[in-house]
Amino acid sequence: MKLKHIKIAKLRRAFLLATLTTACHSWAAPVIELAIENNRFIPDLLLIPADTKIKLLIHNRDSAAEEFESFELNREKVILGNTKTVIFIGPLAPGDYGFFGEFNPTSAQGIVRAVATGEGSP
Amino acid sequence: MILLNSIVVVLKETIEAGILISVMLSISQRTALPASWWRWGATLGLGGALLYAWQLPTLTGWFEYAGQEVVNSALQVTLFGCVVALITQLMRGQPHRLSPLLAIAMGLAMIREGAEIVVFYIGVSQQGESLPSALTSGFVGITIGASVGALCYYLLILSRSHYAARLQVTLLALIASGMVLQASQLLVQIDWLPVAAPVWNSNRFLPEQSPLGQLAYAVFGYEATPSPVELGSYGTALLVCLCAGLTARAWQPTGSAQR
Repeated sequence: MKLKHIKIAKLRRAFLLATLTTACHSWAAPVIELAIENNRFIPDLLLIPADTKIKLLIHNRDSAAEEFESFELNREKVILGNTKTVIFIGPLAPGDYGFFGEFNPTSAQGIVRAVATGEGSP
Repeated sequence: MILLNSIVVVLKETIEAGILISVMLSISQRTALPASWWRWGATLGLGGALLYAWQLPTLTGWFEYAGQEVVNSALQVTLFGCVVALITQLMRGQPHRLSPLLAIAMGLAMIREGAEIVVFYIGVSQQGESLPSALTSGFVGITIGASVGALCYYLLILSRSHYAARLQVTLLALIASGMVLQASQLLVQIDWLPVAAPVWNSNRFLPEQSPLGQLAYAVFGYEATPSPVELGSYGTALLVCLCAGLTARAWQPTGSAQR
């Protein structure tokens, strides 16, 4: 039960973050932030509006490099330790798109969930 | 886990460059070129990979965090140019001009992949993992990658000369066009080229992340969900290779014959 609460809180945080950053950058592609900490993606579930181009701002807070990779999104980029980088994704059809860290594929995993407008989307 | 991961990372990077290098080595063998070109190519590739990895922190920040994609796509397009020149010289029947092109192409093919391996191992050492064990696993990855390259090389040199020549040129064109597709994908990633919905999704028939899918990616830039821009760039690159080959054959100098 506690785990479920944590998961819901994480989801809410991801929603809030997406909404806030979208509002702040309404003149350009909405910015969604993603962090890498202890070889994990935080948050590991990114909720984004479907059919919208998104600017993914990734901050690697670990000292070691990681490679963001996604076969579903056709994206691949090395992110050095303690640096930020940008990747554009979308517009995506509603659905789930997995991504992972190629250098730590067992721990660094995440999902981009494109949600259609009107389905409680960000 | 880091040991298995080292094998996978190194193998993936080795295969991409290894297939192209094996085709070039088979061309060198068929045209009886002196072996010195691959030493120059390996030196350029290793030196370039170390330099690239060293400068990665600087170039990553260029163009508002788009530097990596810009440099990588420039490397891919330059490599494509080298391969087109190679095809031209092969079709003109002038193998003596191939050595510098082969060396540059080999070096360029190794730079990006080699730099990723260097960055990976720097990370392994920073995480306090056992570097010797990770290096040993990486060696296993290189060995498997080299075996795939060796298989491709022997298939080419053991084929009948006439077919081998055609197969070599076809493989060069496919690999180089795949690199142009990759370059366009990198530019889409930084929003320099327009993005659109995929034209098709062939993941059901050949999953991109499967070993065969990865091999197809290395040989002809297989993408399970290609966008119109990626398909357009791939088709254009293939057309450029075809036109370069046909034009070179039509303008073959008198007295030179394609082997």
